[in-house]
Amino acid sequence: MRILVIEDDGKVASFIQTGLEQEGYAVDVLHHGNTAGEQARVVDYDAVVLDLMLPGRSGFQVLRDIRSRKPSLPVIMLTAKNSLDERVAGLDAGADDYMAKPFALAELSARLRALLRRGTPRESVLRVADLEMDTIRRSVRRAGTSIDLKPKEYALLEFLMRNSDRPLTRSLIIEHVWDIHFDSISNVVEVHINSLRNKIDRGFPIQLIHTVRGVGYMLTDSAP
Amino acid sequence: MTFTLRARLAVIATIVSGLLLGGLSIVSYNVLARWLDEDVTTRLTELTDGLHGYLRFDGGMPSVEYNISDTDQASFVHEATRYYQIYDSETGQLLVQSPDMAPLGLSLTKGEVALLLASVLPADITTPYGRLRVISSPVASPIGHNYLLQVGVSLRSLDTSLSRYRDLLLLLTPLSLVLAGAGAWWLSGFALAPLTRLAIAARGIDVATMERRLPTRGVSDELEAVTRAFNDTLGRLEQSIGEMRQFSTALAHELRTPLAALRGEIELALRATRGGDLQRSLASQIEDIDRLTRLIDRVLTLARAESGQIPLTFGAVDLGELAASLVDQLEPVAHARSIDMQCEPVSPVQALGDAGWLERLLLNLLDNAMKFTPEGGRVVVRVCRDGDRARVEVADTGIGMTPDVVAHVFERFYQADLSRSSASDGAGLGLSLVKWIVDRHHGTITVDSRPEHGSTFRVTLPAIHGQQRS
Repeated sequence: MRILVIEDDGKVASFIQTGLEQEGYAVDVLHHGNTAGEQARVVDYDAVVLDLMLPGRSGFQVLRDIRSRKPSLPVIMLTAKNSLDERVAGLDAGADDYMAKPFALAELSARLRALLRRGTPRESVLRVADLEMDTIRRSVRRAGTSIDLKPKEYALLEFLMRNSDRPLTRSLIIEHVWDIHFDSISNVVEVHINSLRNKIDRGFPIQLIHTVRGVGYMLTDSAP
Repeated sequence: MTFTLRARLAVIATIVSGLLLGGLSIVSYNVLARWLDEDVTTRLTELTDGLHGYLRFDGGMPSVEYNISDTDQASFVHEATRYYQIYDSETGQLLVQSPDMAPLGLSLTKGEVALLLASVLPADITTPYGRLRVISSPVASPIGHNYLLQVGVSLRSLDTSLSRYRDLLLLLTPLSLVLAGAGAWWLSGFALAPLTRLAIAARGIDVATMERRLPTRGVSDELEAVTRAFNDTLGRLEQSIGEMRQFSTALAHELRTPLAALRGEIELALRATRGGDLQRSLASQIEDIDRLTRLIDRVLTLARAESGQIPLTFGAVDLGELAASLVDQLEPVAHARSIDMQCEPVSPVQALGDAGWLERLLLNLLDNAMKFTPEGGRVVVRVCRDGDRARVEVADTGIGMTPDVVAHVFERFYQADLSRSSASDGAGLGLSLVKWIVDRHHGTITVDSRPEHGSTFRVTLPAIHGQQRS
């Protein structure tokens, strides 16, 4: 998988490159958008990470450039502004996703994965170790014992299982599981994780739900 | 007590008119009285002088003789002899008295006759039949005998004319004053109407509509000068607000980019460590950065909101449904803190508002209520229709606030007790944002609070009529 990162700030570009390379991606970095369209045409990238505020040409212009050559290339926009209208403008301009700085590397890679996975069919039965979820019958079992979950707990668990072995940030979880659009408030996620732990992990020797400090949560059967 | 400029102008104009009218009335009355008086005295002198020529003294008895066929003579003598009397100067004896004079009781004593001979000035005498002006003059007969002639003229017609004139003035002056007052009220209203229009236009300009200007009329008068000056001020304000907006955008960028780099590098370092103090320290740094980011978000959101950069999309919002959904999602959080959170069942109440911002409004109120309610407390949300308003109440059994705190609770960064909420990042901004959202919705917010008993925040918003589903 080859990713093009267009970011003028050297330090930001550098940690994105290092982080994504650690996850096995090949990463090219451009510090301005002047040749981005051409680069995207010549090299067969799988996704682009594009900063909105670039010297010279704005991110929107660069995005149009890329889109005119590669209409279906997934693009994640980065911006220093975190306002709803800005977000709408970015998505309207054709970005596939949008992230406000500062962001968690884990979240960037989760969003990239989601974009790259797009179009592949979703499995109806999810399994992590002896935990099993049937998304058609909406039933959950661990080691053969049926577990009764509330709707939010179920949605949270499904999101964790679909992204198992990957750390997930609180904001990513809120965005996918809750209707509330503001993540700066209350410990909604912590509370639901706790009740989910009580139902999934209590009494089992292997804990599946882990807290990743500084990042968020991860569902995995191998301790991090 | 203050009065409007219009009222003050009208009152001043009326007082000035009143002084002028009153002065004019007094002067004109006095001048007229004096003229009439002088006329009477002149006529009386003429009559006295004329009568001297018609006097005859046959055998010591005075008499008036004239040619009866001469109508001029006849009418003159008739007028002159209406009120007259003649005395003997030496004896003081009454010799002749006209019939009209007789009942007036003006007969003279000997002493009075002697006195009057010394003074020939006219004198006004009040009688039961009206005032009479008399003039006395000595007359000598051809044989050298002296007499006193007293001729009078009735002042009744003069007095009647003056009193009628006075009555007329007493009627006309107040009437004119009322008319002058009404005119002044109308005129000041007419003159100030453009100012009122300016005030209405100016009231429509706020931070979200800074590009608007007051209408100019293309004439050069004093009001136009005020309008231009105001528009110039608006122009400068618009410019500095524009600079402020650019500044907040630039600030966001300048703060977020280094934070992003910092956070990314710490996250990379965190990946490379396994357990131990270093990992804990790095994770804690990331949490601090996240907290700082949320604080920047809130400050900038509020700054953008208050400088009018956030457009709201108004539509019908079901407050009952919104409240129920939020309580449903936050209830587990409350439960984890042993707080009983409930939404009282309601029929749908449609408010006119921006769904996203109203959600934030309720969320902030609920968050605030939970933050200040100890374990075992209660948070209750009520939604109801109140006339043409939709009302939302968030009541808690928390620590409550003193009136002193309530007065400042919507101010930015105001925190009653820093130690209590220091753990919650960005606190002190939530309620200012609530206030901003309420204001932008043309709503009201009030707080009832008692220390140790709890607080109730009450928000009213414009309701939508006739769209209530059953």
